[in-house]
Amino acid sequence: MIAKKVLLVGNFGVGKTSLIRRFVLNEFSEDYISTIGVRVSSKILKVDSTEIKLLIWDVAGTSDDEKVPKAYFMGSSAAMYVFDLSRQETYTNLEERLALVKQLSGLKEITLVGNKKDLLTEDELAVVLQSISTHIDLVTSAKEDDNVEDAFLALAKQSLN
Amino acid sequence: MKSAGIEQYYIEISCSNRGQINSILSGSFIRSEFENASSIFNPCPFLEGTLEALALNEALLMEGMAIQADGTEFFTDVELYKSQKETLVLIHNRSNVYHYVKELNQGKNDLFFLKQELDKKNTELEKLRQMADKANKEKSRFLAMMSHEVRNPLNVILGYTELLSKEKVSRKLEGYIKNLTVSGRNLKVIVDDILDLSRVEAGKLELSNDPISLSSVLKQIEENYRSSHKDQKVELIFNSSKSLPKIVLGDDVRIYQVITNLLNNSIKFTPQGSVSTSIDLISSDEKEATVSFKVSDTGRGMTADQAATVFEEYKQNELNDNRIHKGAGLGLAIVKRLVSAMDGEIYVSSELGVGTTFTIQISFKTVIEASSKENPKEPVLQENHIKGAKILVADDNYLNRSIVEHILKREEADFLLVKDGVEALDALKAEQFDIVLLDINMPNLSGEDLIKQKEAYEKENANTPFIALTGNSSKQDIKGYLEVGFVDVIPKPFSSAQLVGILNTNLGH
Repeated sequence: MIAKKVLLVGNFGVGKTSLIRRFVLNEFSEDYISTIGVRVSSKILKVDSTEIKLLIWDVAGTSDDEKVPKAYFMGSSAAMYVFDLSRQETYTNLEERLALVKQLSGLKEITLVGNKKDLLTEDELAVVLQSISTHIDLVTSAKEDDNVEDAFLALAKQSLN
Repeated sequence: MKSAGIEQYYIEISCSNRGQINSILSGSFIRSEFENASSIFNPCPFLEGTLEALALNEALLMEGMAIQADGTEFFTDVELYKSQKETLVLIHNRSNVYHYVKELNQGKNDLFFLKQELDKKNTELEKLRQMADKANKEKSRFLAMMSHEVRNPLNVILGYTELLSKEKVSRKLEGYIKNLTVSGRNLKVIVDDILDLSRVEAGKLELSNDPISLSSVLKQIEENYRSSHKDQKVELIFNSSKSLPKIVLGDDVRIYQVITNLLNNSIKFTPQGSVSTSIDLISSDEKEATVSFKVSDTGRGMTADQAATVFEEYKQNELNDNRIHKGAGLGLAIVKRLVSAMDGEIYVSSELGVGTTFTIQISFKTVIEASSKENPKEPVLQENHIKGAKILVADDNYLNRSIVEHILKREEADFLLVKDGVEALDALKAEQFDIVLLDINMPNLSGEDLIKQKEAYEKENANTPFIALTGNSSKQDIKGYLEVGFVDVIPKPFSSAQLVGILNTNLGH
């Protein structure tokens, strides 16, 4: 089994902790508790025939003018940038934000995930997705356990590259 | 020198570059979690993957790293230093500091989401407000349109009952006609009320600000009621204080309406006794006078609950009130809105079986007496200018036309009746008239469009006065008609006296 350090980054309140809780513990809470610093969770999963211990760094959310400390990325194999589909300010200038994460982490690819799809109607979701020119890897709902597993699977696959 | 107990806030560990603990160098912070020869990755999962990537001989600080120990979560700052033979890990317990940071951060973020929620709610509220405004405007427009549409047939009903009342008929028929007249007039009051209310709601109520005499307004009301009030069981008392300023700036028509509505309401609910109307000065200075209008009755009175809703629209306190006392229950609602529009206040006090008092307080600007409008009504011409006058009447409604015909016949006018604007234009091209009565909403050519084609009829009727006959009687409508060339407006429904008066005045000029 190999261990892979992966990070979840993005604006505060986009649901990074909720995605991890859903993936690792299969739990969800409506309460919003802001994350401070870094909390690491782990889960073992299989990608193809490879067993991976995914060390998932839940990094405190940032505001627009804040950067994730570069030290956090040290030794990381993959990163997921999470945004909130219902909050426009979390997905404006996605290209720039992803470029910054790539620069800080040294990673070539970042898994892009739009969370909280449960807050949007199908039509609203279509409008939001149309407004985003960057390729989105997965649209998820931690609340409804929609695509969460797939999002982490994509992250794990990325960590193997 | 180390302060006593400082060891418990940190721990310094030496481990292999693969994470196996060699020894505890100093400090005692969560000491039990770090066993020699065990993996440091168990208490410090954030070091897994990180240690391998650390550059040699370079210190690295990682802030805010969470560590679980004995079911408690600690927040730490971790310093790392990797050399060829070992990695030094210095863990500082900063839980207290991060506790405050967390609280601040939580507060900041909660505030952000609250503000966002508030913005969202405000946007929704604004949308709802706009929808409500639109619905309200639609309602007002509908009511105004309906009232206007009702005016035409009402004009016919009132016109014919008036004509009938002047004929010699049997006593039985006389009674029927009287009932028709009363019901017709009641219907007119309701239509006027609805129109007034819709105007107020649509923000189209325009209050004039002319020099007026409040005591004259009350005197006028008293005179009107002296001739119309026949119920001997109810005494009407009027009193205006001598200390009232002679002239104030206000809208005498609306004040008249307010007092009349209150008075009518009191009379309705006072089977016997008295209804007293008074105007008093509360306070005054050089610029302003605050005046109270009081209408008190010895009627059936109301409970506190009834009094609390008395100004609501379509509100009548007893189930059969609207059957016995007529009206749509709009009179007091209109009073309340008119008083509000005048920046005044209205109160009601009532006792069941004793009576009710309505009190209004309004502040008026005072002016010098010279600009008084003491006698707002124009003097009625005594001379009959209608007799023999050549009058053109255009109205597409046959019944309205026939009412005007009856009146003009009675006044011995020389008149021509036509049924639309095109026929009226032909007549105006062919002969000269002393005056023209034009309905506004006519097929083919409206009254407004006809008057604008002056060059077509100016050979014969360049100086002929045109009067608009219309159900559109708002100030704005009337202003518009005067602007396009009408010299006067006769609002529908009109009485024969009104029609004759306006015709006479304009023919006498």
